[in-house]
Amino acid sequence: MLLQPDSITTIKNCDMMRSVRLLLLLILFFTSYSVRAQEPASIKINGEFNNVSATEFFKGLEVLIPSYKFYYDASKLDSFTVKLSITNLSLTEVLEAAFKGTDIQFAVDTLSKNIFITQKVKIYTELPDNFFNEKKKLNVNNNLPDSLLDYEEGYNEKTKVAPGRLIEIGRKTNQTRNNVIITGYVRNVRTGEPLTNVSVFTDSLHSTITDIYGHYSLMVTSGNHTLSVSTIGMKDIRLQLAVYSEGKLDIDMNEEIRVLKEVLVSNRKSYNIRNVQMGVERLSIEKIKSVPTVFGESDVLRVVTSLPGVKTVGEASTGFNVRGGSADQNLILFNEATIYNPSHFFGLFSAFNPEVVEGIELYKSSIPANYGGRLSSVLDIKTREGNKKNITGSAGIGLVTSRVHLEGPLIKNKTSFIMGARTTYANWLLNLLPQEYKNSTASFQDIDFSVSHKIDSSNDLYLNGYFSNDKFSLGSDTTYGYSNRNANIKWKHNFSSKFRGVFIAGYDQYQYNVSSNKNEVNAFKLGFDVKQSTFKSDFTYFLNTKHSLDFGLSSVYYKLHPGYFEPYDSNSAIQRDEVNTEQALESGLYLAHHYSPNNKLSVSSGIRYSIFNFLGPQEVSIYTPGSPVTESSRTGTIAYGKGKFINTYKGPEIRLSLRYILTPTLSVKAAYNSLRQYIHLLSNTAIIAPTDIWKLSDPNIRPQKGEQVSLGFYKNFKSNTIETSVELYYKKIKDYLDYKPGGTLFLNHNIETDVINTKGKGYGVEVLLKKPGGKLNGWISYTYSRILLNAYDSTQGVSINNGKYYPANYDKPHDVTLAGNFRVNHRFSVSLNFNYSTGRPITLPIARFYYAGSERVLYSDRNQYRIPDYFRTDFSMNIDGNHKVHQKTHNSWTIGIYNVLGRQNPYSVYFVSEDGKINGYKLSIFGSAIPFVNFNIRF
Amino acid sequence: MRTIFILTTIIFAWLIGCKKPYSPSVISSNRSMLVVEGNLNAGADSTTLRLTRTFKLDDTARLIAENNAQLTIEGRDNSVRSLSGSGNGYYTSSNLNLIIGKEYRLRIITSGGNEYLSDYVKARITPDIDSVGWDRDITGAHVYVNTGDPSGNTVYYRWNYDETWEIRSYYYSRFVYENGGVRPRLLPAEDVSVCWKNDQSRQIILANSKSLTQDIIYKKPIVTIPSGSEKFQVRYSILLRQYSLDKNAYDFFEIMKKNTEEIGSIFSPQPSEIRGNIHNVNDLSEAVIGYVTVSEEKQKRVFITRPTQWDFSLSCTSIDVPKMADSINYYFGGYQYVPYDEGPTVYLGTEPYCADCTIRGGVTTKPSFW
Repeated sequence: MLLQPDSITTIKNCDMMRSVRLLLLLILFFTSYSVRAQEPASIKINGEFNNVSATEFFKGLEVLIPSYKFYYDASKLDSFTVKLSITNLSLTEVLEAAFKGTDIQFAVDTLSKNIFITQKVKIYTELPDNFFNEKKKLNVNNNLPDSLLDYEEGYNEKTKVAPGRLIEIGRKTNQTRNNVIITGYVRNVRTGEPLTNVSVFTDSLHSTITDIYGHYSLMVTSGNHTLSVSTIGMKDIRLQLAVYSEGKLDIDMNEEIRVLKEVLVSNRKSYNIRNVQMGVERLSIEKIKSVPTVFGESDVLRVVTSLPGVKTVGEASTGFNVRGGSADQNLILFNEATIYNPSHFFGLFSAFNPEVVEGIELYKSSIPANYGGRLSSVLDIKTREGNKKNITGSAGIGLVTSRVHLEGPLIKNKTSFIMGARTTYANWLLNLLPQEYKNSTASFQDIDFSVSHKIDSSNDLYLNGYFSNDKFSLGSDTTYGYSNRNANIKWKHNFSSKFRGVFIAGYDQYQYNVSSNKNEVNAFKLGFDVKQSTFKSDFTYFLNTKHSLDFGLSSVYYKLHPGYFEPYDSNSAIQRDEVNTEQALESGLYLAHHYSPNNKLSVSSGIRYSIFNFLGPQEVSIYTPGSPVTESSRTGTIAYGKGKFINTYKGPEIRLSLRYILTPTLSVKAAYNSLRQYIHLLSNTAIIAPTDIWKLSDPNIRPQKGEQVSLGFYKNFKSNTIETSVELYYKKIKDYLDYKPGGTLFLNHNIETDVINTKGKGYGVEVLLKKPGGKLNGWISYTYSRILLNAYDSTQGVSINNGKYYPANYDKPHDVTLAGNFRVNHRFSVSLNFNYSTGRPITLPIARFYYAGSERVLYSDRNQYRIPDYFRTDFSMNIDGNHKVHQKTHNSWTIGIYNVLGRQNPYSVYFVSEDGKINGYKLSIFGSAIPFVNFNIRF
Repeated sequence: MRTIFILTTIIFAWLIGCKKPYSPSVISSNRSMLVVEGNLNAGADSTTLRLTRTFKLDDTARLIAENNAQLTIEGRDNSVRSLSGSGNGYYTSSNLNLIIGKEYRLRIITSGGNEYLSDYVKARITPDIDSVGWDRDITGAHVYVNTGDPSGNTVYYRWNYDETWEIRSYYYSRFVYENGGVRPRLLPAEDVSVCWKNDQSRQIILANSKSLTQDIIYKKPIVTIPSGSEKFQVRYSILLRQYSLDKNAYDFFEIMKKNTEEIGSIFSPQPSEIRGNIHNVNDLSEAVIGYVTVSEEKQKRVFITRPTQWDFSLSCTSIDVPKMADSINYYFGGYQYVPYDEGPTVYLGTEPYCADCTIRGGVTTKPSFW
């Protein structure tokens, strides 16, 4: 069941039809003798056809009656399916049964043993009896039902727009004047990949977009419609539909430009106005690739940090902060797998291969109810599905990494794979180091692999794997590394056109380790890891045009080794130490209701109930109630056995958003969200460092809670080519964990004594002006935001800054970002990036004193000062090779300069006591203009 | 682990980053806080404490001593001992006779009338230093300590040191330029060919054995003598002092070390608040910097003679200066050169640091232990 817009009807069928027409002429006009239709009644057919397409049906019949051949235009029959059980029927009976209630006509020419299938127009294999006398018109139309009359009226008019043909959905016999649902997939005709976020609509009320599988469900009234299918980068399609009842319609789209994919920021014209969700950012990989980055390595996360409301502490941190949330409050999903460390080389590069990534979605505000477990945001990174038709691939060479990807069908049009791999050869950088680091090595790799398999029209299976690895050794005696390993399997099932479900089972792992053998007595190995097994089921049920429901269940079983420290070998005097393994089960049950009472108002309300069980075996420390949680107030420990439920946290999370369209180009939205988080990242550095450890909530560590209200106004100009928005938010965070001054985080058996519960409040306004398409495209955003923390709990024994609110490390009130791209022609484009932000807060010295032989400094309260403001401009040029379609490979170059102005943006400012004196320093990570060049080849 | 991150920082900085001197627009606190430094020696040796005050970042002062305070050491056994001021913020006692295992606290009444009191601290035994050794790599010589406590009670250690080294002049000086003329040097009284220089530890040196099966400290780096340093020109001596600490004291010193010596790496923790064990009795919110420890002090002195192939060198030239007033004045008058020897018609002159080791900061008095 493949519907292709007329322009790209497959050549094979065109040829076939041409010969059919020729044959028709021959038969109709040049056959000098007339033949009575002779029933091949002697042939009896038995068979079972269960929802097969017309093509499959005819092929099946050709097998059963090998002497006969069917002639038909497959493209006109693609909305037609056959469900028949045949026992001892003649060919004519079979065909009559199959086409009953449709306008499909058939003609059996027993002489040539050809069967002609047509629509509406019946082919007569014999001339009417009185043909040469009466010139009687052929009976063209069957009785068209009146629901098609208006179609007929509008048909001529509409053909001007799209010289299309009528596609019939459903069975005429089933027709009702009710709402019906059309479902199907939208795919790229060239590669067979599903297309996401394609808008499919008949009018403003009946509109939807495809999901990540390219699947859509559109509710329309029965009758005739013009269906529009559009997304940037693909040719728009308009189809004439006659809708009788529920049915399926798969749509293939052509790329608008063959080689140079159009740069797009939003896939959906006016989507920003219509979407109920607030604070959602979508970026396609094309946009990501057009943004200049350091060393020219296309970096998924680096581009995310240029979006409004997203900040980083500095350049050497891939951890990012969304609307004042800490870096561990982001749920980073790569094909539904949770990635604990999304970066390579301590945050200089993100760990996702741009060649296989399709795009990203970042939820900053309205986090859908099917997501949970993190407070601030969900970053959903999806890879493409492999090309279902041909083996293709690409390879690229950059200054630091080289990468390759390969994709193609395993079973044509049914099963495809895509895999990508990257590796670094950064060792040459290390070889430039002074002599003492001569034996240093650094390496990182990442590999991803996905298989998608279409079982049948209502079942899809996906298999995903991800692996990333970082390993360094400096001066040859200390090595350390970290690694992500993820795998999952996903089954998508359409129970009916109104009801579908997705089931995912997966396993995620992150581990970190260090070993050193420099000093034989102190030679050690240390590390930690997090493992989680997940199961998730999500269901979507379309009640009607006004109501739809999402519901589901998810479960995560955590096994967390907070840390071990052990001797490197038998010469070492290190005593093995290990913090008890933690186990927990986090479950979530959710129900979301999407309600659109009319064209203007749309409400999405959801509730998620999350339950966290901390499980044995474990030893839990008990502290004197009411007194500070310190070692001195510990009164004892309780040991719990394996599988024992030690304690449970549970509570509802509310997800509410609504949209009201004031005018077709102006809408207002509001949202309220509350979330809970049961796993915490403990860090005493300003950024995410690899040594930071994860900790599960337990009887002494409460879950983090957050809530956010937001309000937004969206206005489009110039027929939706310019999008503007203003979003305001206020959020509150409770029980975020900060460290006590001088606290030890690693190998701390009673970590609750070294952390302090912190509450936070954040607020801000994000103003965005975006031009998604065109020769000149890109966006400008301005963000004003604050995030203030308060270590408030008197029972903690200590407070930070005397219990007053202080700015978080990533509190950068003013932020201006421009990401611009100008397409000079199809082969050449230039990109310019501009980034300004207030310097981040730091703790500066306020006084000096003399101690232990040196002058030293005394620090102010935490984060009372700021480093100088940040300002950076990047420039890049993308040059594509020629666009001849039939060459074996296509190549492209990216050349650019990161930090064109060479500004030494301070990453940190600090003061050290050196040789008895205090010296102040300003450290810049990228202190000069960094040119880069990248070469990519596609095959 | 920290070393790794510092190295990483170095790599980043070296590759692509840059580290520039920086002085922020002046931010200062007007508060001047009391700083208390020193260990109450629980052994049979003298005790020295020093009271100073914090000063503004842009203050030209390098040290503000707090003199004329009354310092008393109170035992839980109601014993009272006092320290006497010796100027420049120092307060000393020749022997406090503290008893190991008993608890003591320090009371300070400043000349301004403010009264401070420390928490009670138990007097601790400090194990002997096993050995002080050194090894060498391309960067220089690394002096380290080996120690430990077979009873396993010490765990937390702190050290400081005094170092002394002998230096020699390149030319033996037999003449002095003085009052516009050259006169023979009075030897050996005015000999400036051999000197000794001193320095003290300027970093907080800490180690612990809490993660080891035994209470041992193996090859803990104390000081690095960079390659080519004059410290190894002839002979070098280090007097290492060792103190045992309790965990709280260790934490205090560790925070101070992190705050003031190990900051700035990409993965460095942020500065944290320093909390000592001394408080203003009338205002608990007043910050007082310092931690009173009560421990035995154990010492060890070692000597290191110049290792082979220690390539210390001075760049020295020798010039002939005619024995004429205007030549003498021209070459020696501005102390660009000094005379060190003579020929029949000339004085031999050289750069001052090549003939006079006191110019290089040395003293000619031989230390008693040398």
